[in-house]
Formats: sequence, C-alpha cells, structure tokens
Amino acid sequence: MVLIGESIHIISKDVNDAVKERNPKVIQDLAKAQTAAGADYIDLNLGPAKRDPEEVTQWLVDAIQGVSDLPISVDTLNPVAMEAGLKACKKRPLLNSASGRTDSKELVLPLAKKYNTDVVISVLTDKGCPPDIDSRIESIMETIALANELGIPNEDIWVDPIILPVSADQKQVADAVEFIGMLQDLMPGVKSTVGLSNVSNGTPDEFRGILNRTYMTMLGRRGLYSAIADVLDEELVKLNRGELPNIVDLIYKTMDGEAVDLGSLSQKERDYVKTTKVLMGETLYSHAWLES
Amino acid sequence: MDYKAPLETYSGKVAEVVIGKGEKALKIGGESVLPFHFFEGKIENGPRLALEVLDAAPTNWTEWECRPYKDVLSDPVAWAKKCLDFGADLVCLRLVSTDPAGANAPADKAAAVVKQVASAINRPLIVYGSGDETKDIEVLTKVAEVCAGENLLMGPVAKENYEPISKAALDHGHCIIAQSPLDINLEKELNVKLLKTFPSERIVIDPLSSALGYGMEYSFTIMERTKHIGVMFGDNTMQMPIIADLGSECARTKQAKENEKQGLLWEGITAISLLLAGANVLVLRQPENCKLMREVIEGKI
Repeated sequence: MVLIGESIHIISKDVNDAVKERNPKVIQDLAKAQTAAGADYIDLNLGPAKRDPEEVTQWLVDAIQGVSDLPISVDTLNPVAMEAGLKACKKRPLLNSASGRTDSKELVLPLAKKYNTDVVISVLTDKGCPPDIDSRIESIMETIALANELGIPNEDIWVDPIILPVSADQKQVADAVEFIGMLQDLMPGVKSTVGLSNVSNGTPDEFRGILNRTYMTMLGRRGLYSAIADVLDEELVKLNRGELPNIVDLIYKTMDGEAVDLGSLSQKERDYVKTTKVLMGETLYSHAWLES
Repeated sequence: MDYKAPLETYSGKVAEVVIGKGEKALKIGGESVLPFHFFEGKIENGPRLALEVLDAAPTNWTEWECRPYKDVLSDPVAWAKKCLDFGADLVCLRLVSTDPAGANAPADKAAAVVKQVASAINRPLIVYGSGDETKDIEVLTKVAEVCAGENLLMGPVAKENYEPISKAALDHGHCIIAQSPLDINLEKELNVKLLKTFPSERIVIDPLSSALGYGMEYSFTIMERTKHIGVMFGDNTMQMPIIADLGSECARTKQAKENEKQGLLWEGITAISLLLAGANVLVLRQPENCKLMREVIEGKI
C-alpha cells in the first residue's frame, strides 16, 4: 500500500507556529523523518489556508522539496492554495482532495486536469457525508463521471470513502471496508485512499495505533491502494511491508469468522483480534475494548 | 398452510440482580428475551416500580406533586411507607440534602436517614446520592458502611468515582448503579472497568433517562441497544438490568410544571416508552403513574 505521511498538518501547533514565523526547520524535520520512515508521499495539510494562500503554500512546498525527493500530496480546501501548491511541485503531485461538492467540482477538480495530477475524490456532497454505502456509491460515481468528462482517467483517481471515528459510528467504519471491496467492480481502474487515523480520532492517544494498524490491514485486504497515515508508527510501516505476517494472518482469520483461541495468543496478538472484531462491528466499541 | 409465527431464540441473558435481604429481597432482570417478548420465552421478573422519597422536604415541587405525600414530606420513613401503600415494589431514596450546591448535609447524617428508612420498610431500597461526583464518594461509602448487609441498590457510580464507591459496596454487601451520560460506548467502558473487581450480578445500568421532548429518544435508543447487544449478541459486559430514573426528569420539564394533567401524562408517556425500550426498574414520582404502569405491565391495558 502506498503510504502518505500525515504529519505536516496545520492543525499541529508546531507546524502552525513554523508557518507563522516562516521557519522551515520544523517542517523540514517532519519531511525528513517521514521520508526516512518509508513514506511514499508527504501530505501537506493546509486546512482552509485563509491567509496569504499562494505565498504560504509555495513556501511550504519549497521547504519540503528542499529536503525530500518524495512527491507531495497537496491537501487543502482552498482552490487558490491548491493551485499554487500544484504549480510549485517538481514531481507529479497528488491533489487532495476534490469531492462531490458543487464548489469542489467547479473549482478544484479541473485543476487535476490542468496540472496533470493524481486526484483524491471523496464521497462528500453538498449535504455532507453520505450516510450509507449506496449513497456513497451514488455520490462517487457521479463525481467520477464528471472527472472522466473533464479528461481525467480512472487510473488517476483515488477514491476516498471518508473514514469516521470508530468511537462515533462503528457501522460506518465496517461499511467503508465493504465499500473499498466493491470499487473495482463498479469503477475498474480507480485507486483508493483513506485518512486512516480518522478511525481512531476520539480514542485515547495510547490506543490509537492499534486501531489504525488493524484497520489498514483490513482495508488492504479488500484492495485499498493507499492511506494517509502516521508513517512514524514503525509497526504500521512494518505491517504494510509484510514484515508481520502472523499479525496479518490473525486479522484475516478474524475477518473470516474463524475461531481463534485467545488463550494460545500473546497479549499483542489478542489485542489485534479484539480490535478487528471492534472494527468489523462485531463487538461494541468502548475506550476499554482491549480490557474486556 | 398453517401460519407459524417467526420466533427468535437469543444467545444472551440479562443478569438477575437480587436487592434487599431476606424476605425483603427482590429480583430484577434475568430475562433471556427482549422486553415484553412473552411469546418468545418466560420473563420471570417483570419490570419493578419504585416511587421516590427525598431525604429533605422538597422545595420546588408543584402543589399537585406534593399532595399525595402532604403529611409526610419532612419524614422520609413515613414517606417511604406511604410509597409502599401506593403499591410501589420498592422505594428510591434520594439524598438531595447532601448536595454541595444545596444544604451540603454531612455524610453521616444522610447515612443515618438511609439506615432508618431501610430498617422501617419491608421492601428493598434504592439510594441515589446527589450526583456530585466528589461528595458522592463520601456519602455513598458512608451509607454502604452504616447499612452493611442491607443489600441496597446504590449509586450513581460514574467513571470519575467508581473505584471507591464500588469497593465500599462490595465490602459491605450492596449492589450498585453504574451511570453513564447517554452514551453506549461510555456505558460499556464503565461496565468493563467495574467488572474487573465487581460481580456482574450486582450491577444495574443507569444510562440516564431524559423526558419526553427533552431527549427521551436518546435514552430509548441506548436502552434498546443495550438489550440488543446483551441479549441478541451475547456481550457479557452489557447484560445488566437497566434502571430508568425518570420521575424527577419529567417533573423538571416546563410542561409538567404547567398543569397537573400534563405533568401526569408527561411522566406516564416517558415511563411506558422506557418500559418498552427495556427498563427493568422505573423510578417514578407520581403514585397515579405507579398504578397505571402496574396495569401496563400486567397486561390489563
């Protein structure tokens, strides 16, 4: 799976301060660390980028490119910042993201064609996040049809089903796994991505990693092409590289409903089994899911 | 072809909690079917009805709420007996006097009142602290100690104070009410934590009961899901009986304060809704509704 390092995010106080002071060190350290950890892309999340969008974006892209050869995922809701970012990228960037929202279809999606980028398209619409699998499919098929009309081929499109926190909506978490599994039949050739860490948003920090890692493995089994993820989590990168086959096997078995003898497992293996069951919606989530 | 009703069998069972001691003892829960699914299995212990008593005369009750109890409002023992005369299965004593935002009465004084009431009635007793997380530790651990062996049902025990209160309840032989703020995930989390040291068959869940028009559907959904998860899916951290402490919530509404009939209906409709959602114990304020819910439970209306 292609990993997009998520750490350069304007919501982080360090990053925000660095941008205000135009001090590239924090940004460059994060870019270097993620590159060394094995990221395939560096995500540059600017949020709404209200102030000086063009100048700030260009400065950030240059800062990252000064220390890393990885391509950049330009992640902003602001079309002006987006265009400035795409323009500044030396390697073919990932436009992150367009969606089924009217403003996005009009202002953001055409940029993917104009700058010949890969583009993340999420299932969001003017009404927000579609509530079930059928309405997600309806939304994404409509937006992809438009993208095709604009001359963007399926192969350049990375579908984002929008991941919700397991602590908020367990059913949607399980549904997204199914959704990823259906994509190739519905839209041959499209790629896919998720904001992986969203699944553990709201969960106490010390337990977030195992939710992220388990969910990545489950989605990967159904064909997920890439994830915007915490690549500084070593175990996550190892899992993704196939270096922990026992864990992967255990997660798959649990997904298939095979009986797993918890007594014969290590603590860590048990935790992966319990987490898989929670993410499948088989057991009710609570912050204490590993303790029961 | 004969019609055959589609009947379900369930993998889980609600724990049977016994409260009170000796001849006073009362069983709560224990069903292995969904609420009122008599056609799918026997429900040994139907929902229980409690009427509430305050440990200090109420200051903000309407005239008609006070009327049935007018001679006993400053005497918790006589008040509790009156509740039983009105047909309640048990009494819910609310230690409002201990609220730090109010009279802030000391724990030992409140505990003495609990002891008096518990000794004077021949039915089990539910005891609710003021809901102040810090003060309740002091009050409820004292109550547990003073009333050792009475097997009270005491609470609320919350995420913030479950350790000391559940320990005192365990040491002195009481059952506890595990309370979470209208959130099924937090409800489960508290249960999981409690179950490490406390037996499942001595816990009753209070997911909070909101009144009609003030979020009752949230309470309904959570109670319903708790039963689904415990009874249908067999999750043993969600198999405790449920208490719906709704009388005082309904009485607080604007509608209940406006006029007598509306107040009666507000509590009655909330009560019947939460019964259907799966409440095993109802805490009511109005004797009229106690009578009405009895008829509902017994299938007379």
